[in-house]
Amino acid sequence: MSAVPSPLPILRRVPWLGEFLTTERQAWIFVFKCLLAFYIAAWLSMLFQLEQPSTTMITVSIVMHPHSGMVLAKSFYRAIGTCAGSLCGVLLMAAFPQERELFLLSLSLWVGLCAGGAVLYRNFMSYGFVLAGYTAAIVALPAISHPNAVFDSAMLRVSEVLLGIIVAGLISDVVLPERLRQLLRRSARELYVHFMGFASGSLGGAIPRKQMEQAHLHFVRASVQLEDLRASVIFEDPEARARSSRMQLLNVRFMAAATSFQSLHHLINRLQRNNHPNTAGALIRLYAPVGQALQPPLADPARPRLVASRLEACEPTLQPLAAKLRDELRQDPELLLEFDSGAALLYRFVSELRDFTALEATLRETQGVLGGTVERVDFKRANDFAAPLIAVVRTFLTMLTLSVFWIKTSWPYGPNAMLLATIFSGLLATSPAPLASTANTWIGYAIGMTACYVVVFWLMPGSDGFLMFILVTAPLLSIGPYLTTRNTTLPGIGAGYTLGFVYILALKNPMVYSPEHFFNDAIASLFGLMMSGAAFMVIPTVIGTQWLRQRQLVQLRRQVSIAATAPLQGLVYRFESGNRDLFHQIVQFTKADSLEQRSLLAWALAVHDSGRALIELRQDMQHAELPPPLLDTMQRAVESLGRLYDAPDRTRWQEADRAVDHAITLTRQTLPQARASCQPALAHLLQLRTALRDDESAIAPYIVKATETVHAP
Amino acid sequence: MPHEIALADALVPGILLIYAGCLLVLWVVDTIVGRYGLYRYVWHPSLFRVAVFFVLFGAAGLLLYT
Repeated sequence: MSAVPSPLPILRRVPWLGEFLTTERQAWIFVFKCLLAFYIAAWLSMLFQLEQPSTTMITVSIVMHPHSGMVLAKSFYRAIGTCAGSLCGVLLMAAFPQERELFLLSLSLWVGLCAGGAVLYRNFMSYGFVLAGYTAAIVALPAISHPNAVFDSAMLRVSEVLLGIIVAGLISDVVLPERLRQLLRRSARELYVHFMGFASGSLGGAIPRKQMEQAHLHFVRASVQLEDLRASVIFEDPEARARSSRMQLLNVRFMAAATSFQSLHHLINRLQRNNHPNTAGALIRLYAPVGQALQPPLADPARPRLVASRLEACEPTLQPLAAKLRDELRQDPELLLEFDSGAALLYRFVSELRDFTALEATLRETQGVLGGTVERVDFKRANDFAAPLIAVVRTFLTMLTLSVFWIKTSWPYGPNAMLLATIFSGLLATSPAPLASTANTWIGYAIGMTACYVVVFWLMPGSDGFLMFILVTAPLLSIGPYLTTRNTTLPGIGAGYTLGFVYILALKNPMVYSPEHFFNDAIASLFGLMMSGAAFMVIPTVIGTQWLRQRQLVQLRRQVSIAATAPLQGLVYRFESGNRDLFHQIVQFTKADSLEQRSLLAWALAVHDSGRALIELRQDMQHAELPPPLLDTMQRAVESLGRLYDAPDRTRWQEADRAVDHAITLTRQTLPQARASCQPALAHLLQLRTALRDDESAIAPYIVKATETVHAP
Repeated sequence: MPHEIALADALVPGILLIYAGCLLVLWVVDTIVGRYGLYRYVWHPSLFRVAVFFVLFGAAGLLLYT
């Protein structure tokens, strides 16, 4: 079934031609699938004698997507959204059958809430919300002047929409499917190879801060994308569903290992900067066996198992090596402590890395079922409520304006304008540049309707039967899906074209030709689209603005105080994933390598570093039998750090620094009596202190120099 | 099996309930097959899934409405 391009001699001579043919092939497969879905949907809805085959076609045009996993995921949520929307439409109609004003007010509110939901859930779930609003509108608006018909209207619309969803899902899943699963596997492997290369390549110990930040950015993106892909692939592939929880576990293990690695590197870098090359050198030598175990990082399928066993073999040798290296160092207690905390970080990193590679190996070696159960972990999403709230208000006002306009002018095509505004205010609300998107979609929509004019009034009257219908519509309709595959260069045009074409085609059985309805409907839908664009001018989107970034940065910093106060159960995973999701949202719209992005990165690294150390410290505090006064001091240090990140300033920095220092002093005093319980806590306290005093981190502006004051005993 | 069933006073075709039931059965079958990795022995898994659904739905429909 798969058409493997044969290596023609001409392809060897002209290399770009091969690439061109591959992308063209994919594009035309998509066009073929779209057309197939359109015509099957139209044929079936005519066969079932549904009232408006055009609703089915509109649904297909919204659902079709080049990757099949996405279609299934969307279909699932779309079906739920459709049912919820139609239910709401019927309920609203039942509640206000005589009261047009109240009815439109509450419908506007519902549509607004749906648009807000679409913004809040940024992935494929957002489609469900768009559809919930859209279905409520298509169910209730046409029935507004005869409320008795609303139930029949709802049943027919739901049947049409669901038919469209099913057909689109089936076609894209069965006919020449383009699998997301391959993409998931490929990106998971790339991430693995990249990280291993990064971890083993840094054998020298000194990675410049800038490179570290770029690597962090890369890994964060990879983690979030992996999670997005995983969430879609489970709809496509039952085998992936069976492995889904392990994929999540792999991702969180990866995140944990990446954080530990970064903390270790910051420590070594700080030591080198502060003129302690011997300590730094000892840590680098301690890292050497780990680096060797990771080399060479080839993308060989057998490699993760080998790396995991090498790491396992290398783990017990680290302790003796550390003891030996410790003896060789200058016996300054302060430096020895630094070395100990570095060694503790290294052990943590190695054990996390071993878990990660072992899981990766298991996932690669086995297929299908994996024995035993795994720890359930969730990738926590960090959501901000400002953007959805603004979307709610904006959409509500748009719909309200259109309603008032409709009632005041008693414009017969008001419902059509409202319908289009409903669809697009939901679809465009997630866009970072909604004005440009609206303009593009508007142009595409207008072109699509012009093309449809030619088809409806020049070609179709002379045709007869379904086959002729396909022949006259296919050439011009196929432009739409083709433009959709060119979404990077012409964003929005393809979607607008397809939607405009099938909307104004208004396929009926038997077909009705009425030019005045065509033009009125065209004007109404363009007006509705324009209104939803105008709403973005009046209430601009906050997505991708400086204001939202600042807000999210505050939220990111607050992650530290969450780490300091939240219940410990599963906190590491929640912290790591929430951090990454938030950070991913923040940097999404910043320019690469700009000053702003660098400062955001610095904050993200600082939050990561300190938050993780805080969680580890709190875990030590729970498990170990520490004397109560010591526990109190540590608790105070934890709280003061949380406060510092809540609203960083100099006095809070001083407080935090003093509290941490005090805790360190006390712990060192008790160290001889209770070595087993104090040692790990001390290591994490030291890590916190180095993070606090790092003069290259984001905290640097708040550092108060000359901290050589006498500390409390 | 009655042709129409009253669900909250709304008449629903009986075949719709069978359809939903078959979807549920398909989902269970799909999960089991996927869990044990049996789709490796199938040339086109999604086509196979659709075929299984048609067999289930057709059989149930024909058996219940003879």
